[in-house]
Amino acid sequence: MSHIRSYGTALTHFRAEDITLHPKGKKGMMKSVCFSDEDIITLAYEAATNCFSILNSQIDGILFATSTPVFHNRSHASFLADLMNLPQGILAMDFVNSSRCGTDALLLANDLIASGKYKNILVVSSDVAFPEIGKELSTPFGHAACAILLSSEKGIAEIVSARSFSSSLAEEFTYKGSNVQNDPRFSRDAGFKTNMTGSLKKFVSAPKSFDAIILNSLYARMAGRIFFKAGFDEKQFAKDTLASKIGNTGATHAVLLLINELENGKKNILLADYTNGTNFFEIKSTATVKEKTLQNKLDSFEPVLSYQDYLLLRKAGNFDSMRYETKEMFSSEMMQEREKETLLYLTGMKCDKCGTIYYLKSARCKKCKTDKFSKVQLSKNGSVYTFTHEHYFPASFPPITMAVIDLEGGGRMTVQQTDTMYPENNKMGMGSKVKLVLRKMIENDAKPNYFWKCIPLRITN
Amino acid sequence: MKKQQDIAIIGIGVTKFGELFHQSYDDLVRDAALQAVADAKIPMDDIGAAWLSTAFPEIGVFKGRSGMDLCEPLSLYNIPVTRVSNFCASGADAIRNAVNALRAGECDVAMALGVEKLRDRQPQDSIVKMMVEYGHPFLQKGFTAAGTFAVYANRMMKEFGMTREDISNVSVKNHYHGSLNEKAFYQKPCSIDEVMKSPMVANPLTVLDSCPTTDGAACVILVRAEDVDKKKHKPVFIKGIGLSVSTGWDLPFFDPNHDFLSFEATRTAAKMAYKQAGITKPIDEIDLIEVHDCFSIVELLTYEDLGLCKTGEAKDLIRGKETQLGGKIPVNVSGGLLSCGHPVGEPGSGWWLKWRIIYEAMPVNAR
Repeated sequence: MSHIRSYGTALTHFRAEDITLHPKGKKGMMKSVCFSDEDIITLAYEAATNCFSILNSQIDGILFATSTPVFHNRSHASFLADLMNLPQGILAMDFVNSSRCGTDALLLANDLIASGKYKNILVVSSDVAFPEIGKELSTPFGHAACAILLSSEKGIAEIVSARSFSSSLAEEFTYKGSNVQNDPRFSRDAGFKTNMTGSLKKFVSAPKSFDAIILNSLYARMAGRIFFKAGFDEKQFAKDTLASKIGNTGATHAVLLLINELENGKKNILLADYTNGTNFFEIKSTATVKEKTLQNKLDSFEPVLSYQDYLLLRKAGNFDSMRYETKEMFSSEMMQEREKETLLYLTGMKCDKCGTIYYLKSARCKKCKTDKFSKVQLSKNGSVYTFTHEHYFPASFPPITMAVIDLEGGGRMTVQQTDTMYPENNKMGMGSKVKLVLRKMIENDAKPNYFWKCIPLRITN
Repeated sequence: MKKQQDIAIIGIGVTKFGELFHQSYDDLVRDAALQAVADAKIPMDDIGAAWLSTAFPEIGVFKGRSGMDLCEPLSLYNIPVTRVSNFCASGADAIRNAVNALRAGECDVAMALGVEKLRDRQPQDSIVKMMVEYGHPFLQKGFTAAGTFAVYANRMMKEFGMTREDISNVSVKNHYHGSLNEKAFYQKPCSIDEVMKSPMVANPLTVLDSCPTTDGAACVILVRAEDVDKKKHKPVFIKGIGLSVSTGWDLPFFDPNHDFLSFEATRTAAKMAYKQAGITKPIDEIDLIEVHDCFSIVELLTYEDLGLCKTGEAKDLIRGKETQLGGKIPVNVSGGLLSCGHPVGEPGSGWWLKWRIIYEAMPVNAR
């Protein structure tokens, strides 16, 4: 059918503990939460970047899934393809609705590749849901993104078969903006139970052949008897070890669970993703995952220290500095489109004579006055040449650190440091190694406004 | 280049600096210009050409976008008037243009007037607003004016063993000088402790390491040296003048060759002026210096760029109090921008005035 050639994940730097979010919350239960300049786009970008194992030009499709869209009438998939400098005119589609849409996209990509029309499709799911204030414990959430490169060529695992089973009944959903919850005694029987029983019978022929069953559903607790009746054993169930560390990541969750089991070394995986209908996948691992990039990230984070800080994070983009109220920053789509080679793709100019590398375009080299330049790809890693902490520039968490960075291999950039909710934990000095990450310029969150910021190089990234 | 003719300043006028809520842009123009014309003892209509410098009309009162804004308040019409805008060098550049016009024979009497009206807005509505909301939406976003100089301070501290005390002592010195200048905005001396403990703006620069943006205007009347009437005028002669643009607005922060230890523009411009004036050893030949001190670190950088000391030795000048009144080479005896505030387009011309008034007022043994 199709192969998982590579994968990439993005978890946020900050985690909020349930006890921080609510006095009745449990200790040790964490939710992954975005910094004020992150959103589904920046997380998706990071996951997709981490996923790349082939040249951009070899990608012929991108499918994007989220239950928390930021755009209407604009394709997230196309937007992301452009950010990533994928070829123009490729297949780009959004899957925007339920928390099952992550596997919806995976399922379709699998069929598209099986059809022979496509060779490499990037499937990206990204979710950033914030529950209503005060409902942080009763609403499952967690912010993360995951990218899978599905290919006709062999990779780390093979999707042996995949099928989707619709269901007529939904347990709880939103109708025109209001939440509707059916009577659970009735709806879980007529919804989850009926759908799961029926589809298991149709999809699974040899239940004992699986060494991991992943069931992503809010009703997973009541699945035991259904699976037992269908011939499965309790030991086959793979526990959701992610939920306690990053929360329920919505549209991304099922895919993350799959990656977790691949990293656990499971060979034959049954993935079932239920939300008003089930997507079933039979997946065979074909190579050992050497670098456990997801699991390595799980325990590396900074905790959000108070509910007040969490609220500040939520206000992302719509904030006042202590000293200055942001109105609207100048922004221009024409400029962003025109200068994206430089601004987004970090294409620099190398002087053919003296070799100096410039980030900004110029007619002549400032050093040797030659007018011959060659294009050069700048690195996203570098070290701090000099810096300052700006206390007066509007920020959710002042001061903003501005760092003048010498990029590895040449070129210099000056950008803001990010993930600095607690600046004392993220101090940088001259010579500090840093990495560029794509974030929102939150001074003007009214329009898509993504640019580079830097973070100190941590072991896990 | 040919030997340049000397030019004389024969009239000067300057307003008070500060939050001049009772004076409009036009009032400031009138205030400075009428003082200068009276000082030069000439009729206004003798002026053959004029230059108006205002750096930031768009964050002020939207005045000063063309020469018209000089003519209107003075009813000075039917002569060439040009608006000059060159950031913090605007005022000095207005004078340079006037000097060159006199040298070229375009006119016999020239006026250069710098004026800035920034405090009709709240302070955070002026330059901070400009840095946040205007300009390129990505490049340099996150910097305020202070930050763009603080990155120099941090690098200099690392390279040259300069300390925060050295930087703040510039502010202490200039505020002391400002306390002697009745036109200064701040006329109060301050201690090193007060400077270092005032609120942080951009590390290591505090509020007292930074100049305030203020309203103010200054005006000079210039003629060729040969036209000076010695009975009427007390001229100041311009022996040399230089201007250099040596980098871009964004480039310093994206140029791998830039070391954040010096301003190439100051070095080049000083070289031009020294050459015209025949100065070879500035520290021995110059009696008094006024420099740009928008932030205290800038004055230290400028010591080195003007050749008053070797690279890395600016700290020794400030430690030895060499640049204080009574020292070997007093710098910013007006109190500088740190005391007078920074009406961005104005200061260049203001300094010429300050030079004379203050130097004349100084006790002879302090010169």
